[in-house]
Amino acid sequence: MADLGRAALFVSLGLAVYATVVGGWAARTHKRRLSDSAGNALFAALGSTAVAAAVLLSALLRHDFSFVYVAQHTSTELPTGYSISAFWGGQEGSLLLWLLVLTAYASAAVLINRRRAPDLVAWSVPVLGGVAVFFAFMLVAVSSPFETQTAPIEGAGLNPSLQNPYMLAHPPLLYLGYVGLTVPFAFGMGALLAGRTDERWIVATRRWTLIAWTALGVGQLLGAHWAYVEVGWGGYYAWDPVENAALMPWLAATAFLHSVMIQEKRGMLKVWNVLLVILAFCLSLFGTFLTRSGVVNSIHSFTESPLGPWFLGFICVVTAGSLALVFWRLPLLRTKTRLESLVSREAAFLYNNLLLVALCLTILWGVAFPMLSELVRGETRTVGRPYYDFFLRTFGLPLLLLMGIGPLIAWRRASLRSLGRMFVWPAGIAVAVGVVLLALGAGSSTPGLVAYTFSAFVLATIVLEFVRGTRAVGSFTQLVGRNRRRYGGYIVHASVVLLALGIAGSGAYGSTAERKLSRGQSLSVAGYTLTYRSLSQQRSANHIALRAAVDVSRGDKLVARVQPGKNRYFAEQQVSNEMAIHTDWLRAEDVDVIADQINPGGAIYFKVLVKPLVNLIWVAGLVFLAGALVALWPDAREQRRLAARYALAS
Amino acid sequence: MIALSIAGVLAIFLLYTSIAGGGTPTLKPSQLAGHNDRVSLVGKVTGKPSGDGHDTALRFHLRDRDGTTAVPVVYRGSVPDLFKTGREVVVQGKLVDGMFVAAPGTLVTKCPSKYAPAKSSNT
Repeated sequence: MADLGRAALFVSLGLAVYATVVGGWAARTHKRRLSDSAGNALFAALGSTAVAAAVLLSALLRHDFSFVYVAQHTSTELPTGYSISAFWGGQEGSLLLWLLVLTAYASAAVLINRRRAPDLVAWSVPVLGGVAVFFAFMLVAVSSPFETQTAPIEGAGLNPSLQNPYMLAHPPLLYLGYVGLTVPFAFGMGALLAGRTDERWIVATRRWTLIAWTALGVGQLLGAHWAYVEVGWGGYYAWDPVENAALMPWLAATAFLHSVMIQEKRGMLKVWNVLLVILAFCLSLFGTFLTRSGVVNSIHSFTESPLGPWFLGFICVVTAGSLALVFWRLPLLRTKTRLESLVSREAAFLYNNLLLVALCLTILWGVAFPMLSELVRGETRTVGRPYYDFFLRTFGLPLLLLMGIGPLIAWRRASLRSLGRMFVWPAGIAVAVGVVLLALGAGSSTPGLVAYTFSAFVLATIVLEFVRGTRAVGSFTQLVGRNRRRYGGYIVHASVVLLALGIAGSGAYGSTAERKLSRGQSLSVAGYTLTYRSLSQQRSANHIALRAAVDVSRGDKLVARVQPGKNRYFAEQQVSNEMAIHTDWLRAEDVDVIADQINPGGAIYFKVLVKPLVNLIWVAGLVFLAGALVALWPDAREQRRLAARYALAS
Repeated sequence: MIALSIAGVLAIFLLYTSIAGGGTPTLKPSQLAGHNDRVSLVGKVTGKPSGDGHDTALRFHLRDRDGTTAVPVVYRGSVPDLFKTGREVVVQGKLVDGMFVAAPGTLVTKCPSKYAPAKSSNT
């Protein structure tokens, strides 16, 4: 079996090399049939990679410990679901997943676009093939999932922290996101190579970028929810390098999704768009590199995994190669249209892009800082939460405001009078909300108050847009149906507002209390009284569960009984904190109760966190997904417009 | 216009780094000598820790991952579940008379797996 897997990967490598070399030559010499053949090689590579994946999956499900990978990541007791998730629980398997997703994306993108834009696809195939060559080579030569051994009786099992339903969905979604950014990158590079720098590559890949971006966004929120519910420290995002790894390409892709609209509508920002797509793709490679090498701990340990130097080399080659390509094609990327006014939709988009990229790059700097300072000064220096929070506030709050302004302001040049007419209502509502909140005591945090006020402003503009549009068209569903891109975008904007409210509420207006309590004693925080009643112990198959019964009351009224505690696992000799969450839907806040330390005598150090609006973050995830789906949904009118545009171009 | 905006962003960035400084240094126990400012100390827990961090201060020794230099640490605050002898941990604080006095609530265990982020404690 393992031989079949190895052979399949070898075939994938051969096909990817064929797609790159022959595809490149065919595109250069304009040999249409040979180009088609190179594209077909990518389909075949999908087939052979799928065979390899099937071999690994079946070995995982059969617990065939003669596969080193299977023995390292599963055990006989592991439930079937987690045996599947062991596929991406380790390095070799996740590389295989990368290649599988890549060949699938590549095949679909080539298949859909090859008739409509043959010259563009001809040059995109070798780029897609080149990326596939790297991953197939890693799988064949550096990090093979098909190493064999004499089968041990039992496997090592899966890391307990990965035995979690979230881990079934979170990593594959992130991979769908990371890998999906290859498609717009390949088509962008293909357009440069072909010397066709009109907006066709953008139109052809818009949907692919959206899919990747949606998967990345939802995947991250799932990860945040997992951290909040399961990890048990009461937070959802810690600016950990591995978390930032997914946030950075998402920010770059967000900037890209916005700036391409300017190129589509006004033919501007061509160089900027190409640079953004390069940035997004390189960051997705960098993200894989961060999670897959030991570089996060120390720059000197990144060679611990054989992958590190290869990845770094590949990122350097991709960056240098694509920048050289941009430089070479610079004369073709000149734009004829210029920015006419600093108060216009184009300008608003430009500000939005600068802020997104600035946020992305400051995060990148924070992630790279320890490695750079270790290289330069021989001493690791890290930047922490205050650094990231500062830049999130400085760049994030103006972004939030722009989200309200951008969609309403006129193209080319906006007059002050039209601005006044447009914004008098939303601005009035925002100011009113701000004043009311100030009266209610929200002034304790200035950034929080600003975030709330800006959010009210943006929500008001979005509602206003929907109302105006519905009045003009006559029906709400028709309005959205006729312009899915625009109104899907507004829904996504609304989700970002919810996210901002959730972050501001839980971050700026939260309360914390820590105290040692014996049975019968209580503590108070943010209007809640928590009384520790009793401690119980329950033994199950693989752990002992200690649970404290805690009564949560407001005033004289008992609102809930929660059971925070700890699980002690025998086999792993690990203890896990089991935080209890009481969600008060009416007050829109969570009370998180953590039994920080349980003394043998029964006294417990409790930590209680009250987090207002934190649940809006998860609601935002659902709204985000809904908005993205609306924007993604096939649109017959748009298809006709596209066809007309292609006909013009060729 | 673009140049101006980029300059503005850069200015904010430089202003921040000049006021807040260039991050906290992360040191191994062997590099600690001579540092009197606040640092992050990273090392392996050796010997048997005493105390629970709440009623009595948690006392333990940290040594280099690949070395023998060890430094005594005293700490108060919540102790991560994964804290035990042999585990790699990070803690912030200052060196005072040969004893590393940790800031309350800054003790974090480094995750043994490269795959899962080290969110095992409050960071």
